[in-house]
Amino acid sequence: MDAGQSEGDLSAMADAESMSLHMPLAARVQGYAGALAMVAVSTLIGLWIAPRWGTAPVDMIYLPAVLAAAALWGIGPGLIAGIGAALCYNFFFTTPVHTLRMDRVTDVVTVVVLLIVALVTSRLAAGIRQQAHIAAVHAARNATIAGFAGRLLSCSTEEQIAETACEELHSLFNCNAILVSGLPQPHVIAAVPAGNRLTPSDLAAAALTLESGEPAGRATPRIQPAEWQFHAVRSSGTTIAAAGVARDDGRRSVDDDQLPLLTNLLDQVSLALERARADADRREVTDLRERDRLRSALLSSVGHDLRTPLTGIIGAAAELRREGGKDTDLVSTIETEAGKLERYISNLLDMARIEAGAVKLKTEPVDLIDAVSAALKDLRSGLSNRDVGVDLPDDLPLVRADPQLLHHCLINLIDNAARHSGGDGRIRIAGTATRGEARITVEDEGPGLPQDQERALDVFARIEGSDRTGGAGLGLAIVKAFADAMGAKVTASNRTDKRGAAFTLRFPKSLIIQAAEPADAG
Amino acid sequence: MPARSAKILIVDDEPQIRTLLKATLFRAGYSVVEASNAREAINAKGIDKPDLVLLDLGLPDRDGLELVTMLRGDPRSALIVVSARDQTEQKVAALDLGADDYVTKPFDTEELLARVRASLRQRLASEAERQVVEAGPVTIDLLARIVRRDGKDVHVTPKEWDLLEELAKHPGRVLTHDALLRSVWGPAHVGQTEYLRVAIRSLRQKLEKQPSQPKLIINEPGVGYRLIAD
Repeated sequence: MDAGQSEGDLSAMADAESMSLHMPLAARVQGYAGALAMVAVSTLIGLWIAPRWGTAPVDMIYLPAVLAAAALWGIGPGLIAGIGAALCYNFFFTTPVHTLRMDRVTDVVTVVVLLIVALVTSRLAAGIRQQAHIAAVHAARNATIAGFAGRLLSCSTEEQIAETACEELHSLFNCNAILVSGLPQPHVIAAVPAGNRLTPSDLAAAALTLESGEPAGRATPRIQPAEWQFHAVRSSGTTIAAAGVARDDGRRSVDDDQLPLLTNLLDQVSLALERARADADRREVTDLRERDRLRSALLSSVGHDLRTPLTGIIGAAAELRREGGKDTDLVSTIETEAGKLERYISNLLDMARIEAGAVKLKTEPVDLIDAVSAALKDLRSGLSNRDVGVDLPDDLPLVRADPQLLHHCLINLIDNAARHSGGDGRIRIAGTATRGEARITVEDEGPGLPQDQERALDVFARIEGSDRTGGAGLGLAIVKAFADAMGAKVTASNRTDKRGAAFTLRFPKSLIIQAAEPADAG
Repeated sequence: MPARSAKILIVDDEPQIRTLLKATLFRAGYSVVEASNAREAINAKGIDKPDLVLLDLGLPDRDGLELVTMLRGDPRSALIVVSARDQTEQKVAALDLGADDYVTKPFDTEELLARVRASLRQRLASEAERQVVEAGPVTIDLLARIVRRDGKDVHVTPKEWDLLEELAKHPGRVLTHDALLRSVWGPAHVGQTEYLRVAIRSLRQKLEKQPSQPKLIINEPGVGYRLIAD
């Protein structure tokens, strides 16, 4: 941006505004001198004409001089020219010549007319000049606002806009400028010169402006001890920022007659900020959509890329087993470990979905008998020789759940029980429906949970940095997240009958499907 | 197993998976044709006229679900999707588009062979073979509309029979919840899964040895039910 030019704009404007009242001394002297010179020239012409054609046309000679002086330099020089012309006319051309006495009535009329012409012309000219000045002031103000808006338009972020606005205010008003926002603790967004600090009373003034939308601080009725004067930057009725102005020498930085200009400029700042915010919002929406698309593409491709080689390993091991080689233990190891790997991959993908907020809930009436038997079927290779007791009563109600999330919950709970039950510990899966709640409890014969109840809830938290828990830690965290997503609960406790832990998936009354239609309905 | 060995088309872009499937299917006595992308699959379908297609959904040149629709035009050939996509929406979509079954990777080869047998039986079995379906201790006579357990007649309600009949007409194949609701309760009841749950539970009470640990009527979570026939 061009600070010099902006400054030029404003000083030209100031000149135009103050011209009529505060004309510089030199210009004033020039006006009066010019008026007198014109009268002198008119007199010389009159002296040349009078001997040849008489004094009758001479009074007309003075008229242009008076008109010109009044039009060019205003009422003062105009009147001086009128009076001068009257005196000269009287002195040189009326009888008795070379005196200021006037004998003829026509001469008196001429002098009076010259004075009236001077008055009227100067008034008319002054009016025209005033109009021209006002037009010039408006043009200069509009040019300033347009230049300001243009420079703001080239900024794309809120920071850039704030920075540019401060620089512009700084050069236009020749003062320090600062932009502040945020309630209840206002903070500086931009300042010129950079690094300007605000005292507590300045911050109070800024906060007041942000809160009320009214000017506050120095030379205002509110919080006068402040060094800065703050003005509101408004956007659709709310104050989005406060602009502060101050001068190092303590003088007023913005005169009252410049306040409308400042308000206009701050409106431009608000428009620019609004535009930048709308742009940022739009970009964010586009970014989010793109991120969502990439995330689901990534999840599905990771799933595919990891599961494909695993399919080869598991399938090849199955073929080896069938061919009946002597290393059946090794083949079993391959199969067991590949099975674990499969579950870890599945858990990692689930966890990625949870953390990405990409879990989609699709609930339907689910029979817990179906859910448990499907989970046991999928886990059968990992449970090969283990004794699993299933106790699900016939009258276990249907529950509203997402079948896939429930499936992953049960797989992880049963897998967790198998992992903690030692070599041949028994797993018990029991369903109960009491006090308006349906429950599935998975019990193991492992070491149980630490006595501390607080710790018992911790088992569902993902344990960062622990390679010991690995997939297991992830598994319980997934159970909790999926249960939460479905509106169910999961709790952990120690068994009361013997050593071991019990994990319970609880479906509250709201998820229980009360009385299903008879099967023959419809 | 039919007299002529059935011909199976494997469509998968991963060579290791094709090798594995080929070995497994050869051992089970099938003849095998391979395709590594959708274009080859469409050609092979026309030229080799396979009895069954094993289709991977993640092909490089075309979306797998689109290919399901294209390959399903021919009623003489069965189609099983074999995919790493394990979301229920994907499974239901493939089945709705006409796939006979859906197997997720990594799969158990024995289970895959069971699905292949079930799908082929549907296409190749004689009328007589289709009339009586054996599932463990249960015999379902579709012509006489009789169901027996351990040789004794079992009384089922009309709706239970309709449901059992629908499952027994496609032994070993998964039928989606909505497909069962549509054919047994009518199109107006699609989505009312609770009807199905109650009827299945009642059937299990009558047919299963341990109704809470079913072995005959098996649920695929979020997808549907299948009858495990001998």
